[in-house]
Amino acid sequence: MRALSARAILLFVLLPVMVIGIVACDGDDDDTYRIGVMESLTGPGETYGTVSNQAKQLAVDEINAAGGIDGKMLELVVEDSKCNAQDAITAYNKLTDVDDIKIILGTSCSGAMLGAAPLAEADGVIMFSGLATNPDIAEAGDYIFRTSLNDAQLGVDMGNTMWDDGVRSIASIAESTDYAEGVRSASTDRFLELGGTVEAEESFPSDTTDFRSQLTKLLATDADALLVAAQAEFTGGTIVKQARELGYEGPIYGDIVVVGTTALEVAGDAATGVKAIITDLDPNNTKATEVVNNFRSKYDYVTLQWYLGSAYDDVYITAECLKQTKDDQDADGMRDCLYDITWSGTIGENYSFDEKGEVVGLSNVVIEVLPVSERNDDNQGYKVLGPAPII
Amino acid sequence: MATNTPETTEEGRRPGLIPRLANGNVELWANLIVLVWVIAFVLWQGVGFAITIGTVFAIWAILAVSLNLVIGFTGLLSVAHIGFFGIGAYSVAILTSKTDYSLLRTEGIPTYELPFFAALPVGIALAGLTALVVGVVFNRFRDDVFVLVSFGFAIISFNLFLNARAITRGAFGIHDVARPVIGTRVLDGELEFLVMALVCLALVSALAWFIVTSSFGRVLTAIREDEQAASVFGYQVTHYKLAIWVISAMMAAVAGGLFSSWTSFIDPNSFILLESILLVSIVILGGLATIWGSLLGAMTFVLLEEGMRFIPFLPDVYVGQARQVVLGVMLVLLMLFRPQGLLGRYRL
Repeated sequence: MRALSARAILLFVLLPVMVIGIVACDGDDDDTYRIGVMESLTGPGETYGTVSNQAKQLAVDEINAAGGIDGKMLELVVEDSKCNAQDAITAYNKLTDVDDIKIILGTSCSGAMLGAAPLAEADGVIMFSGLATNPDIAEAGDYIFRTSLNDAQLGVDMGNTMWDDGVRSIASIAESTDYAEGVRSASTDRFLELGGTVEAEESFPSDTTDFRSQLTKLLATDADALLVAAQAEFTGGTIVKQARELGYEGPIYGDIVVVGTTALEVAGDAATGVKAIITDLDPNNTKATEVVNNFRSKYDYVTLQWYLGSAYDDVYITAECLKQTKDDQDADGMRDCLYDITWSGTIGENYSFDEKGEVVGLSNVVIEVLPVSERNDDNQGYKVLGPAPII
Repeated sequence: MATNTPETTEEGRRPGLIPRLANGNVELWANLIVLVWVIAFVLWQGVGFAITIGTVFAIWAILAVSLNLVIGFTGLLSVAHIGFFGIGAYSVAILTSKTDYSLLRTEGIPTYELPFFAALPVGIALAGLTALVVGVVFNRFRDDVFVLVSFGFAIISFNLFLNARAITRGAFGIHDVARPVIGTRVLDGELEFLVMALVCLALVSALAWFIVTSSFGRVLTAIREDEQAASVFGYQVTHYKLAIWVISAMMAAVAGGLFSSWTSFIDPNSFILLESILLVSIVILGGLATIWGSLLGAMTFVLLEEGMRFIPFLPDVYVGQARQVVLGVMLVLLMLFRPQGLLGRYRL
């Protein structure tokens, strides 16, 4: 038995040594530009991270099929940052120390971004995210960029929309994540600024599935509207469904999560009429339609279309800058290029980056969820009412 | 807790290294393999990434050694450790953070800007005090019920970190946690930080070794084997259990302080129950009631987890998921063939 145990140890502990041992050292290939990718491939942000990663791979495949960047191929080195600071740091160090990467696309989670960003800033490594929305990232440094609109802008647009609709008091419920709390906080700040009142606020941890007691408390305040901020689509849909089951007939406002594909499936007809502030692809943008169709053909599904487009555009923007710098080790050149560039792509026309690396030139739109009978893949279950009002 | 003692020491004169290896001496093989593994990893992947891995190892190892005092030596299966780890991390983060939160557009908290070495003792003391208070209650429970109440503590801790927004900023997290300063030298280099983390690990391991080899440690072992018998012999078992519980919590807070200083940003996602369960897995993987086993377990876990980043034959999109699956399968197989862990003499 003892000998068997020894063999077991050998098998299960030595095996990884052998696996690592057979890894061929990639080395630097002069015919390839190597770009790092850090996404949440597992953990709470897995849905966003996977879509983002796949969209990037789609863009890279297209670029390489078209002959690469002035003849040089583009290669992604992907690492899982798992949506938390510690794993983001180990992923970052692996990319920079082992793979000698200077340009990283990602991350998809704000917590992971905020964990690795100080290192990137200190090392002079570019971090370029298409999904992280926490407003704090604006202050993360000179090498940190993103094409995602931050929660503060979403909050302003949400506050303005509610006020514009005649809402003067709200009750809110938010998932306890940086994203959802950020959306709620920014929205209520703007709403209060405009003269509105917040009757009651509730928060819940991510694993909650029954919101009836919190909703009962919120609905008892007779606020003009209910504001829902969630991180997970299932959660957002469940809250809407349970609010309607409790007899609430007033307006419900939310973010993109509350009107996502899964959320609408969960809520069913209860979601009809829900208004949300989202970033959405322009249906008149042929590039956007083409990218979504290509994504669907390659992966047999489509979700989170705007974020998909954002991640896709990040690769093309990076490729454009590589054309100028001609060096994947030149992070300073990439930084300068990003500050100067104006881009038209999947998520919008003529957008650029401000002095904090924040995207400018993109805006949110207000949408309203359609009845179940009118929902389909093309309209994604809602109609766009127009750009968010400016007050 | 059922125990098993598969003795591996030889009767009479101890044979040499090669015969012992040839005879399938598991402990020796495990040590040798992990050592070779570490060297191979450093050689293949470079010193830079090895420093990162070393720091992650040091933090997990401090946690594993401290938890082994409670689980392995005293027989209290606890998943509460992540809470004490979090208390240490948040104490250091809150007391040392230099960010002017009024400039950020999210939640603000007061800042104190204390140095790391002033904040760490506060975190250790706070974790100890918390452990003392909850320990008085926990002392009433044993076995399965103890697991459940420790589970409750882990959940409560996480929710406190998440919802006490006036102190912790909740989900927004705390930025700019200070690096340690010794004299005028800021330990902002990765290598310097690794050295300090290893020094902390050495101190914690030495203290743990001192405890388990003392008469105090022998009483703990007696409690694990038969609490009633220890009590009959006149030992105040509740006092002993409470003492080791508090010491262990304070050690976990050291790891927490190091963790938040190293990452420079923390949010509640780092203190979820899953991390606690992984920690228990590390302790069992390395072996119960062996300090060296905890070090070996932590190293094996970190090398497994991070080594998976280098699997060459998987498409990038599956690498993340594959790491989780392979790690899980290997832990299951190891438990199947070696339930007492790599170096353990006891099993749950």
